[in-house]
Parts: sequence; structure tokens; C-alpha cells
Amino acid sequence: MTTASPPTASTDPGTLREAYLERLAAADEPGAVAVALEAIDAGVDPETVLLDVVAGAQREVGDRWAAGEWTVVQEHVATHISERVVAAVAVHSPAPAPTGVGTVAVACLDGEWHGLPARLLAEVLARHGWAVEFLGASVPAAQLATHVHRVGPDVVAISSSLPSRLPAARRMVEACAATGTPVLAGGPAFGADGRWARAVGADGWAPDARAAAAVLAAHPDGPWFADEAVAPGTPGDRAGREEQAVLHARRAELVALAAAAVRPGAGEVSEELADDLGHLVDFLAAAVFVDDPALFDGFVQWVGTVTIPAGLRTNEVAPALDALAAALADSPRTARFLRGAQGAHGGLPTPVG
Amino acid sequence: MEGRHGAPTRDATRAVEASSPALPVTPPPPDGPALLEGFEEGVVVCDRGGVVRAANPAARALLPGLRVGEVVDVARCDVLARAVRDGVPEGFEVVVDHPGGERHLRGRRGAGLGTTPPPEPADGDTTWYLRDVTGEHARTDTLLAAQERAAFLAEAGRALHGVLHLDRTARRVVALAVPRLAAGATLVVRHDDTVIWACAELGGGRPRLGRLATADLPRVPALAAALAGDAAAGPWLAGELATLTGLEAPTGPVRACPVPITGVVEAVVVLADPRSVEGSADGDDALATVEEDLLTSYVARAGTALAAAALHEEQAHLGAVLQESLAAPRLPETPGVVWGAAYRPARETMRVGGDFYEVVGGKTPDAPAAFLLGDVCGKGIEAAVLSGRVRQSWHALRLVEDRPGRVLPLLNTALLDAVATRDESPRFATMVLGDARPTGDGSVALRLAAGGHPPPLVLRANGEVEAVEMSGMLVGGIREARFAEAEVLLGPGDTCLLYSDGVVEARGPGDFFGEERLAAVLPRCAGTPAAVLCEHLEQTVVSWLDGHDHDDVAMLAIQAPPVSPDPAPRSEA
Repeated sequence: MTTASPPTASTDPGTLREAYLERLAAADEPGAVAVALEAIDAGVDPETVLLDVVAGAQREVGDRWAAGEWTVVQEHVATHISERVVAAVAVHSPAPAPTGVGTVAVACLDGEWHGLPARLLAEVLARHGWAVEFLGASVPAAQLATHVHRVGPDVVAISSSLPSRLPAARRMVEACAATGTPVLAGGPAFGADGRWARAVGADGWAPDARAAAAVLAAHPDGPWFADEAVAPGTPGDRAGREEQAVLHARRAELVALAAAAVRPGAGEVSEELADDLGHLVDFLAAAVFVDDPALFDGFVQWVGTVTIPAGLRTNEVAPALDALAAALADSPRTARFLRGAQGAHGGLPTPVG
Repeated sequence: MEGRHGAPTRDATRAVEASSPALPVTPPPPDGPALLEGFEEGVVVCDRGGVVRAANPAARALLPGLRVGEVVDVARCDVLARAVRDGVPEGFEVVVDHPGGERHLRGRRGAGLGTTPPPEPADGDTTWYLRDVTGEHARTDTLLAAQERAAFLAEAGRALHGVLHLDRTARRVVALAVPRLAAGATLVVRHDDTVIWACAELGGGRPRLGRLATADLPRVPALAAALAGDAAAGPWLAGELATLTGLEAPTGPVRACPVPITGVVEAVVVLADPRSVEGSADGDDALATVEEDLLTSYVARAGTALAAAALHEEQAHLGAVLQESLAAPRLPETPGVVWGAAYRPARETMRVGGDFYEVVGGKTPDAPAAFLLGDVCGKGIEAAVLSGRVRQSWHALRLVEDRPGRVLPLLNTALLDAVATRDESPRFATMVLGDARPTGDGSVALRLAAGGHPPPLVLRANGEVEAVEMSGMLVGGIREARFAEAEVLLGPGDTCLLYSDGVVEARGPGDFFGEERLAAVLPRCAGTPAAVLCEHLEQTVVSWLDGHDHDDVAMLAIQAPPVSPDPAPRSEA
């Protein structure tokens, strides 16, 4: 039984990630925990295990879901296991006591259910001497405000992977700004270069946990955006807010409308299609909110590459956009973004049949 | 109030401004000399050699050294002399000595005017118009200074009012004071039995902060006196500051500014090298007064903000303690049983609500794990307090009675008795409680009792969903209430889900989430760990809400562990 070659001796993050991913695919929690802890025992830095093995594998899980290879539930199981692994790592090699550099509250945006990246950030910051309060996934702005008032952290770090949550980010930033607490934004939600972090009024942006630790080490108090001119002022301008509010209020109606245009006569709208169209409206609202058509274009492009059975198909994107544009002619910016996105993807494959 | 320093030239200036535009285009009128004499604006005419050919009384009053027939230099105004000689600058402003004190003089070259007599301008003559703008300057300076003070106070108010956290407020208070009010500032605040100090100095970066016990105050008697409102700080204040903070003592003068009594905190701001002292040293009493007013206003704002922060902290602490005692419990590790739970209170700010669940142990085989999920009527803190009563009663009762069918009537009686002793209006609860016993072959036997609660659902490993038909009456309603009992056997991978009505009554845009949707979502979760199932359901329900308000949402899943699909090929296996 013990004659198996010692794969556990591997300290190469890539090899470890493969082994870890295999355990995730098998829904084997004890196995996944063992991969992580044995790597640490073999001398791998816990931070490397957390960010390169666990987080790296989770990215692959996301890709598999987007490619239609894994179901949502499989993805949830994998994420659950990874969360247990993070907890096990924290118990196995606990972060040293805070060095007094400061207190940071880590929270996911309201509506952001992927709590793992924020959890990893919390672990990494704790290993960089910060006293960390992890508030969890999908934190309502009111709860964050209560926490900031009560605990008074030096910095609030907000995390999100979905740009469609940006209007929620704005509310959270405002809640923190009222108390004078700087906000560091992180995660793909804020754009590849963090431009939407500025748009929602955050004081800084970091692409990932390592960068966030570096940014905070360099300037514990923020603000981290160098040029103040672009930073807070009137992010989420009036038109943006109004049109975003319209989209939010009419979301259900718009989804039904677009669904009818995409699959006329299909009767009951499939849940997957409704989900995708809901995301479409959410991303449109977020793009309008931060006044950046690129946000919407990016989503439209992405939706074309994702294979979710019964979800929005590539050739259905254009008719959905048409239907939305017709229904939203009263909102100038929204209509402009819809037309722009359509123009940008005029070369969509023609519908089959 | 506006402190008009010096010359009262307001009316004169206005008159000149009104009449001057006419001057350049007006050729010297026949009665020119009389007209010039009457001007409030000074007029000087020089020839090309710089000799003054004419000067009206206003000009002679401004430049008493000016003599007609002598070179302009004797007026001891260098800029004017240079302008006359070189032709530039054509406009200037300059401060000149004057028997009545310094005057601000504004001059410009204007259209040529004849001298008197003759009225015709001679070739090469230049004409200069001079005006006393001392008063204008003083008013502008006063206005700017007043604006600056108002802006400082507005900024102080803005920066302080929303903080509501004592440490951060303390940091803000001292950060605001430097450099506007002083080169260094230390705030000492006493709240209950803690003393907090915050210190900022010029170029010192982020304000430093520390705390000590009030028992240490006797070591710093002068500070203690200042804290109690005594502004007459003795010579030891600077040294005591160093004792308190462990930082270097300020070298310059220090001044203690006690914060007005708020009844909540005692506080004093000690300024090092304060500006208000400099002002009075100059003998400028008006300036010293306004600086003093500014300091008073700032200290008052600081006091209000500190009191608000301290009060809020007390309240928040109360809330936090309560919240902690009522928060959803951690799930235990029970051999042979997998637990999962989700909880989302309606009032997000307090994070407590009327839904609750409890799970206890099952560490030994003969003491099965017991669980409870319920919902008391109402929302918010009142509901949370009642739910606390239910939970505590259950914790005690289950120690003396392990049959769920017997625990529930006892709980009913306990609630009714508690209400009866307090003249409270009856408070109802609905709940499902029970215990879970691993059978040893991978299954888990459940005994359940329910009163007025949505029936539990069983999700079989193969994806089938069954409702456990049981209803029963409200708990805490009447003494003769009858409750329902049921037994369920969970095979490996089977899950029993208890949930509160907040799940099915979650109202999205248009419709309730409903039992049907819940039953439709569940099969997709077949085979997932109980925790993932609850998380997935919570997420589904909250997405359904789409930002709408909701009731408390609570879920508890009890699962018989699934047979591992793919045992890990690990070395220690």
C-alpha cells in the first residue's frame, strides 16, 4: 500500500496544481487537503500553496464551467472543498500574530458569491502582518458600514470577480468614504487595469492577492491611485445612475422580452437562458453605470465563447441585443452601448436553420 | 467685525472708478485745473526728464514728498520714478511709506493731460494716475482669511462627523490641527476607564495612537487637570505629554485646550507651537481674537465628534455582544452525520433575526446529535431576544428529555410560562426539532417533531425529493397544543433539509420563491455536501429576491455521508 512512488515529495506548483485539481474533480475533500498540507510539509511556502495551487486550480475550475464541462453544482462542490482546504492550511500553519501594520476588513461585493478569492486575500494579508477581519461572500453595504463603524479598520478591501456587481461596489465605497476609510478594490470585476475601481470611487486597485499585499505594504494608508485628478469626484454620474436604476427596475421585464425575441414560441423560458439574459442586463447596467462600453462589449464577446447547455447561444446574442435596444430607446447611453456592441459583433455566425 | 484696517477709502474708490473711464477720452477742458484739483484719484504729470509738471492734491496726499518742478524721484517711490524714466511698467502696485503708516498704491499710465497752465500737453509729457488701495487690500485679506477659517471648520466638520469610531476620530482630530492650528497636536480622551491619546506633528506622517488605563492618570497631574476642564496648564505639561505617549516632549510653547464638557467623554487637545499665541505676540488683537474663535470652534467640533463616536461605540458594543450570543452557531463535527446550514437575517445591519437553528454534538454513540430550526414571529432585535429564550430553553430541556415528541410540548409550556410572568403579549414560534443517530451501516435515523413549521424535505441521493408530512400547532400559543412527530431514515448521500418560511416566501420581482421552485432546485444538488447544498439554495433565493427586502432565511441540512465516489490514492492509505 505504501509502495506508491512519492508524488507527495513534489514541490513544483504546477505539478501540485494538477494533483489538486484531480482531487477536486473527484470531489475528494480529504485528498485535496492532503495535497495542500503535504506540500507545506515538504517545504512549499503556504502562500504559494494558497495562491498557485488552490487559487490556480480554482481558475481552471471556472474555465471548465465556462466550457460547459462542469455543472454549477460541480463548481460549487470544488469551491467548497477549496474553502475547507484554506481553513485546513490556516490551522496547519497559522499566520503569525499581527505585526501592528494595521487592520484590514476583507469583504466580497453584495451579490458576489465567490468568496474564495477574498478568503485567500484575507489569509495572505494575515501572513503579511495585517490583523484581518473576513466578512465573507455577498456582504450588504449596510453590514459593511456597521462593521466599519464598530471595528474601525484602517483599510477595507473589496473583492469581486463580476463587473456586473459594480453598482454595489459604489454603495460599499460610499459607506466607507463616510467614515474616511480607504477602500482597496481587487479582482477581475474592476477591469484588467482597475479602471472601474476608479469609476466607483475606490482609492486603489490591485489585480490579485500578492499585488494587494505589496500595495498595502508600500502605502498602508492609501490612497493608492497616484493621480488624484481622476480619482473621486463624480464617479457614477447622474445619467449613469439613472439609466442603471431603470435597467435594474425593469430587469425581469427585459429578460422576458429578450427571451421571447431569441426563442419565439418556446413557451417557458429555460432557467439557463433566463440566467444568461439576466447577466446580459446586469452587465449592461454596470457598463452604463461606469460609462464604459468596453465593459459590455467584453461580456458580449465572452458570452459567445461560453458553452452552457440551454444557455444563450452565440447566434442568439444579436437578436437579444436588438430586442433590448428597441425596449430601451428612452435611455440614450444604454441604447448607444447596445448599438455599439451589436456593431462590434456584426460578423456573428448566421443562425443555423 | 470685518476689521477694516486703515484707510476708509471705500467711497472715494467707488467715485473714482465711476468717473475714471471718462478721463482718457476727454481732452483737457478749459477749466482743466479745477477739474484735476477735484479728483479723488491722484494725477501726476511729468516731462520727459522726469520733472513733475503738475500734481493734484490727491497725488500730493499719497506721496507727500512730491514737489512740482522737482524730479519725481524725490517722492521716494521707486517704481513710479522708474516708470516715468523708462515708460514701463505702465501699471504697478506698490507699498509706500507714509506718515500715516504703509499705504498700498496702485498706479497706471493714462492719457496725456495738460499741465496747469498751459492746458496743452507738452511733447514727451506722461500722465500717471495713482489710487490708494490700502482699504481694498485689507478687505480682501480679511475676506480671504475669513474664508480660509470657514473652509477649515467646514472641512473639520466633514472629516469628523461620519467617523463614529473613537480611535479614528481621535486620529482625525489631531491630523486636522496640524499645521493649521499648531506645529503639533496631542489629543487625550478619557472614556469610561480608558485613556486614549493621539498625536500628530508636522511632517510626522500618520498620527500615532495609544491607550492606557485611567489608573495611570495620577502620573500626569497637569494633564488630568486639563482633562477635567482646567485650561491653566502648568509648566510641566510638555513633560507629562512625553510621559503619557512615550514620544519626545515638544520643545516650544504648549497650550492646553480642554474640550467642552459633553457628559460622555473628557478630552483635551494640547497644541505645540500654537498659532493663536503667535498672533497675540504681534499685538494684532483682532487677528488673535478670530484665531482664538477658530480654535474654540474646532475644539467644540472635536468634542461633539468624540462624544458621538463614544456613544456609538457603547451602542455598537451592546449590539455586538447581543449579536454574538444570538448569532448562528458553529456546526459541530459529528461522526457519521454531515451538517450544513445557511442563515441570512432580514435586518442586515444587526445580523440577528427571528429565525434560528441550533445543533448539538453527538460525540458519543449513546447521546445522539440534537438539532432545532425555528422561527419566532416578528423581526429584528425583539424577535432575536425571543429566539434566544427558545434556544436556551431547548438546550436545557434536551438534557432531561431526549425524545423530540416530548421536548416540544415542554418547550411550549416553558414559553407560555415565561410570557405569563412578564405581562407580555403571547409570542409564537414555529419549529422543527429532532435528533440524528447514525445506524452504523452508513444510514442516519432521524426523529422529528414539528409545530406550525414548513415540513422538512428529504433529498435522496438519486435526486428524488420527498416532503416529510408533518404540521402541528404553533409553539407558545396554547397549553393544549398538539404537535406532529415523524421518523425518517436517511440512506448514504440522503439529505434532510429544514428551512424557515423565509425561503419559500422570498418575494422576487412578481412572485414568491415557493415550495415548487425549492423542490425543483433541490434535485440538482443531489450528492453534494450538505454545506454546498445550503450555500447553493441561499444563493438561489437571494438571486430570486433580486435586491428586494426579505424575511429571515434559515436552513439546516442533515446528511448521511455519501459513499466516497473515488477514494484518494494517497500514500498513507
